[in-house]
Amino acid sequence: MHMADALLSPAVGAAMYAVSAAAAAYSVAKIKEDDLCEKKIPVMAVSGALVFAGQMINFTIPATGSSGHIGGGILLAGLLGAFPAFIALMTTLIIQCLFFADGGLLALGCNIFNMAVIPCLLVYPLLFKPIVAKGLTYRRISAAAVISAVLGLQLGAFSVVLETQLSGITALPFSTFVLLMQPIHLAIGVVEGIVTAAILCFVYNMRPEILESANAGTRIADGVSMKKILTVLACVAFITGGLLSLFASAYPDGLEWAVEKTAGAAKAEVKGKLSESAASIQEALAFMPDYGYKSGTEGEGTTVAGVVGGAVTFALAGAAGCVISAIKKTRKT
Amino acid sequence: MKNKIYELYTLERLSRDDTVIHRLHPMAKMLAAFVFITVVVSFDRYAFGRLIPYSFYPAVLMNLAGIPGGLLFRRFLIAAPFCLFAGISNVVFDRAVVFTVAGLAVSQGLISLFVILFRAWLCVMAVLILVSTTPFAELSSQMRRLKIPGVFVVVFEMTYRYIGVLAEEVSSMYTAYLLRSVKRKGIEMRHIGSFMGQFLLRGLDRAERVYSAMKCRGYSLRGFLRESEPLVRSDVVFLGAVCFFCALFRVFSVETAAEMIGSRL
Repeated sequence: MHMADALLSPAVGAAMYAVSAAAAAYSVAKIKEDDLCEKKIPVMAVSGALVFAGQMINFTIPATGSSGHIGGGILLAGLLGAFPAFIALMTTLIIQCLFFADGGLLALGCNIFNMAVIPCLLVYPLLFKPIVAKGLTYRRISAAAVISAVLGLQLGAFSVVLETQLSGITALPFSTFVLLMQPIHLAIGVVEGIVTAAILCFVYNMRPEILESANAGTRIADGVSMKKILTVLACVAFITGGLLSLFASAYPDGLEWAVEKTAGAAKAEVKGKLSESAASIQEALAFMPDYGYKSGTEGEGTTVAGVVGGAVTFALAGAAGCVISAIKKTRKT
Repeated sequence: MKNKIYELYTLERLSRDDTVIHRLHPMAKMLAAFVFITVVVSFDRYAFGRLIPYSFYPAVLMNLAGIPGGLLFRRFLIAAPFCLFAGISNVVFDRAVVFTVAGLAVSQGLISLFVILFRAWLCVMAVLILVSTTPFAELSSQMRRLKIPGVFVVVFEMTYRYIGVLAEEVSSMYTAYLLRSVKRKGIEMRHIGSFMGQFLLRGLDRAERVYSAMKCRGYSLRGFLRESEPLVRSDVVFLGAVCFFCALFRVFSVETAAEMIGSRL
């Protein structure tokens, strides 16, 4: 479910960064209030690493022959409480992004939101906790784990669809995308829910105090209501996204516009015959004038020239790399 | 399993090298990677030709830093499946034909598939080059410099260190399980609760012991800040060069230039 940079537009990426950063800042502030903050740090680190190491273990799903691995959000929240679980999961996602190329740097905000904010800060306090509110029993823990894991993954998958659609990189129609994503993640969610339930029940059996303290500690209702958090998060997303998309639509190519603005003076001087003719040629023959494609074959010759130009550039880049490493080798010897 | 643990720290081993790129200030490298990715992502979905010049960035940096390309490419393959899925769906849904090559119709969707994959490769390379030329301790000290809360940075550092420790632990538990169970290929679903649960409890106990040990050696959150070196001229030049390179090919299209030359000939 990790989103990649390649499927994301900068506006969506920035908006989700803002939301995730707000959630992280709030969580850190909440954790710092805790007297046992320092003592919880190694526990958070270990649980983050546990999710990681746990993902290396495959378990067999009966009657299917396929295998799965543990996901984490609800499991960590059940063990640590909402905020420490969120921080632990967030660091795991950053490490996955940096060292495993799983999810991109720009997409980090989206991934943190989809896989950490949703299960730890939304589903856990709003669904898991109310279910086990009357007291912990195996049945309640199992029900809460399965329902929360399913819902968490469904929401996560849905927001992947939304973020991808808003970025406009894929041509996949919204409904088709939703119909593809949701059922797959329903299946994954059920399996993850069962695994989470099994682990939580085992831990409750062995060390009931771990689940009890997570359930009692870092209570979200203290001081700040959930509604407030949700409203703030929604506002941050809306404002950042809105501003950026406004900017993007007013200047279809925001970055190009910015570059032109800054380099405008220098550019104006060069504007002579050559650039005029270049502009007219470009307009007439452009490979993709404003997203609309030229049909027919008239521009084919120049298109081929464009393709060849691209290939030459690519080859040059490769050659540059080879030359550098060759120079380095000769220097070493 | 052992391979996975080994792989985890390969990039870190690379980051201890000493080349022009390794000597650059981590902040300069981080900013450069960010600028590069943002610019690469800002192109529209059919701009394959416009993206090509950006392959200079990984090609030049990788060779300057002496990072094996095959290793980074294998990491890229991890990110590829989801992009491939999204890209292939473009081929299915976006069928307008752009041009034909030797009787083969090339559709918009096909171009956008290549754009997605190429873009994914560029972005992944940028991140991996950053990580494999910057020691982990430097990365986290830059996070502190960016005023990211200490609690968070310490958790980040410790998680990274614990992964190796716990991976070895889970690996020995896994081997023990397989040795006890004949002909099983993985852990059965009904055992997963007790297996992972045991693993969790062991890990938490370990965390407690580590914490006590750290406390005994005078550890506290505040005492962890390290002085960071300022940016020197070579860092500024590097960052400026990357920004200039990104901006240049954002404005100037190699494709159009080639087309112009083609039409003149």
